[in-house]
Order: sequence, then C-alpha cells, then structure tokens
Amino acid sequence: MRYPFPVGAVDFIQGDEAIARAAILAGCRFYAGYPITPASEIFEAMSIYMPLVDGVSIQMEDEIGSIAAVIGASWAGAKSMTATSGPGFSLMMENLGYAIMTETPLVLVNVQRSGPSTGQPTLAAQGDLMQAIWGTHGDHSLIVLTPATVQEAFDMTIKAFNLAEKYRTPVILLTDAEVGHMRERVYAPHPDELELIYRKLPANEEEANYPFGDIHGDLVPPMPVFGKGHHTYVTGLTHDEKGRPKTVQSEIHEKLIKRIVEKIEKNKKDIVDYEAYELEDAEIVIISFGIVARSAMRAVKELRKKGIKAGLLKLNVLWPFDFELIERIAERVEKIYVVEMNLGQLYHMVKEGANGKAPVELIPKIGGEIHTPKEIIERIKDNLRWG
Amino acid sequence: MGWVITMQIRLAGFGGQGVILAGVILGDAAAIEGLNVIQTQDYGSQSRGGHSIADLIISKDPIYDLIVTKADVLLALAQLGYESTKESLREGGLLIVDTELVQPDKEFTGAPFTRIAEEEVGLALTVNMVALGYLVAKTNVVKKESVEEAIRRRVPKGTEEINLKAFRIGYEEGTK
Repeated sequence: MRYPFPVGAVDFIQGDEAIARAAILAGCRFYAGYPITPASEIFEAMSIYMPLVDGVSIQMEDEIGSIAAVIGASWAGAKSMTATSGPGFSLMMENLGYAIMTETPLVLVNVQRSGPSTGQPTLAAQGDLMQAIWGTHGDHSLIVLTPATVQEAFDMTIKAFNLAEKYRTPVILLTDAEVGHMRERVYAPHPDELELIYRKLPANEEEANYPFGDIHGDLVPPMPVFGKGHHTYVTGLTHDEKGRPKTVQSEIHEKLIKRIVEKIEKNKKDIVDYEAYELEDAEIVIISFGIVARSAMRAVKELRKKGIKAGLLKLNVLWPFDFELIERIAERVEKIYVVEMNLGQLYHMVKEGANGKAPVELIPKIGGEIHTPKEIIERIKDNLRWG
Repeated sequence: MGWVITMQIRLAGFGGQGVILAGVILGDAAAIEGLNVIQTQDYGSQSRGGHSIADLIISKDPIYDLIVTKADVLLALAQLGYESTKESLREGGLLIVDTELVQPDKEFTGAPFTRIAEEEVGLALTVNMVALGYLVAKTNVVKKESVEEAIRRRVPKGTEEINLKAFRIGYEEGTK
C-alpha cells in the first residue's frame, strides 16, 4: 500500500492535516463532511488523499447529512469519519445519538471554536466539553479523547478508530482551533508499527441474527456488514437483540441502554488515559486538558522553581471520566485548580470527583485566547498570599 | 547571535509577500534538525494587502508556551507589519527590516530585500526567501542546508531553483 504522505518519517504539519493522515493510516476509507472553520483543512486533506487510497470523501448538504452518511458507510463495513466545529457539531447531535443507539463505530472530530452560535469562527475554545459528552438526548455513553499537541492529535486519531471498532461506539476527538491550525513536528509511524483494531464480525449466520445481543459476554455484539447477505435491521427505536423495534417494554429498553453504558464504563481502565506530572508530593494540583494543559505545564514548572509544590494532571480522555482518580488526588492535596477555556465545565466533573476532599477552584478564560502560564501562576500565587 | 534554549521568531509583512510560507519553511528546517517547533499565523482575510504574521517558537525543550510574547527576532518586510508587531520584540532582541520599506524607530539591521529580489534574483516574489536567508545567516537558528531542504519540499514545483537562489543571495547578504 502506498500512502500519499510520508510514513515512518517526521513532518511539519497542521493538527488538522495530522488528523486526516492518521485517519487514513488507521484504515479510514470513508469521509463525509461539510466545510467549516477551523475544521475545513481536515476535509481538504481527505479530498486529496481518499481517491489515492481507494477511499471516498464526499461533501454532503450539511452536517446532519455528513454524520448520517458516515453511519451508513460504517454499516457497509468501512472505517468512517467526519469532522466539524461549532454550529456543525450542534447539528450532528441527533445522529450522534442514532450512532450510539445503533452501536455504530465512527470517529467524529470537533475542532472547537468559540461559541455559542457562529461565535468567533477562527478562535479556539473548550466550550463543547459537556456537549460532547451529553449533547445528544437520552441516557447514553460514548468516548471522548482530547489532544494537546499536533503529535497527540495524530496518535489519538488512531486510538479513536481503535476504540470505536473495539467497543462498537462513536468516538469524539475533541480538539480546538489552536491545535487544528498550529504546525508542529510530527512523527507519522510506518503502518508496520501500528496496531490496528477492526470490529468483530459475526462468525456465522446464527451470530449475525443477534447484531444487538451480548452473545460473547463482553457487552460488544458482533456487527454484521450490509451487503453480505445477512437480514439485519437497524433502528434508532429501542430494539431487541435481533434489532427488532420494541418500544414499550421497559425491560428491553433497560437491558439495551444499560449494556451500551456498561460496555464503556466497565472498560474504563482500558480507555482512560492521562499524564501525571509531579503529583507525588504536590500540595497544589492543576487539572487541565487540550491546548491549555501546555500553559498549565509551564505554570507548574515555574511554580516548582519558586518552591511551590505544584503538580499537573493532564486528561487525555474526558469520557469515560475517572472520578475515583480525582478523589484519590483530592485526598492528599491542599487544593485543586481546574484550568479550561470556558466558564466551567470540566470544573463540575472534577468537583464531583473530589467529593469534598479538597477545595476545587476554576481558572476560566473565554474570548479565543489561551491562558498564558503567567495568568495561571498569578492566580495561584494571589491565593497563596491571601490564603 | 547565539542560540539559547528557546527562540521566539516573528515574521511580519503584508499579504502577498510570502511571510507565512517563509515561516513554514523555517519551521520545517527546525523539524528536519530534530528541534521542537511550533508555527502559528495571523492574517487578514484579503489574499493581498492585509497584515500577515507568522510566529515560530523553536526549542531544544518541549514547548509549553505557545504564544510569542517576547520575540528574540522580529523580521519586518512592511511598515504595516512593523507597526503592529514592534512592541513584541524583547529588549535587546534582533530587529531585521527591509531597509527601503520599513522605517524603524529602534536599533535594527537589514537590507533592501525587495530590491535585491527584483534586481539580483530577478523575481520580486522571492523577497520572502531573500529575507529568510538573511535571517538564518544572522541568527544561526537552523543550518543553511536544512532550510535548503525545506525549500525544496515546500515551494511550488518548478520554482525550487529560483527560491534557492534567492535564499542564498539573502544568506550572503546576512554574512556581510
């Protein structure tokens, strides 16, 4: 297989371009999208690359159509992706729920910009965290990953496909305009270096009859491929193990939704990922994610130089959320700060996790600019001074 | 100019001067050398005439500060670009200007890059490569050869030679 970009090599590319290349390396062969700043470069790259790897990249009429096409392509057996931002992400919410309900593996990239509505189209924000997790209606679960560097955007795109295939679920890659548009040094692995996961297919016709049944006891049913002769019925209505609509029986609904939630929750250890820096003896811990975690890292290094025992917890996965990890940290620190580019979203999850064991304070920022390390340091030092 | 652990470099001009491409090529050269580097940009929505700024942070360490706050080097190819960025140059930082297009109000070095591109290279469009050559010679932030490799990778096919020529002429000028 020849790739239309360097592999096993270092390059200097934008985050958006890295996501497109990584998707193709992960085996993505279907992309549908609608252009929107700051995610358009993903679509541009896909439009160039897909025809060269026997894949398909199409522009749909809008974002609703884009994710719908991706769901269809996934059921036809292709690893599939779409990318959007701001208002486009809102438009995708209904079909995101359809993908969760029908257990359709797909990757949805949200290159966050400042909102609400059309907001600040070219500027970064982290205001879609809660929407990424809870934006679609009804009880559900899914996976949300978040990169802080172009290299992480690359690596996490591959991980997103692997998790989507392994757990038969939509995975959201929640990044932002800064990571999307920034160019950094990136190592693109050679395909031989990659471990790729492909969805479990029915081993026989009997298994294919239960596309929504936990027939292997791992909560993840094998997924039949459309066009392979199976009689598969896929619906967003509550359905039984064979996929037939059963909309009024409470026990069928409960069984289905609990399995969809538990297949993520019970595999939390496999999915959750974070970076802990100087946490061992930390008295003050900053918890952050994505682009602003880099400013937080600088702040921690500077605080340490001043003799303040600070540490950083950089979250790479935002859902499932490791509430117990936060509580363990809260038990042995004096204070937790949450640094995020919104008016407080991760903050609420951290507060719940801390469970009263340590005070949690928010250091928010909106308007399109990343917190500078200085802003974080000043705020923490002010508190120490006035204490 | 000696290498420190981290260099903040800002290139400023107006749209059409190729400031962003010069920034990408410089960043690519740093990446080729195994240095950590980030490049961001800011420009008006016009394809020509608006301000255009390319920022680079090149470091031997991992990069956590993402914004150019105190530039070690500021290259200004137009008065407009100079006016909007001059405050970001750190005290004692290196100011490089096109001496016929920018009238700085602080200490500077430079050459008439645009005229050199027109008269010596024979193509005004290569002003970005002339200026980049000058900057690399003055700062040694990356090796000349790394930039030449990056130029071959990044400029439109068929224009490699004239861009390399422009870069080398600028580099020569910078060693004077």
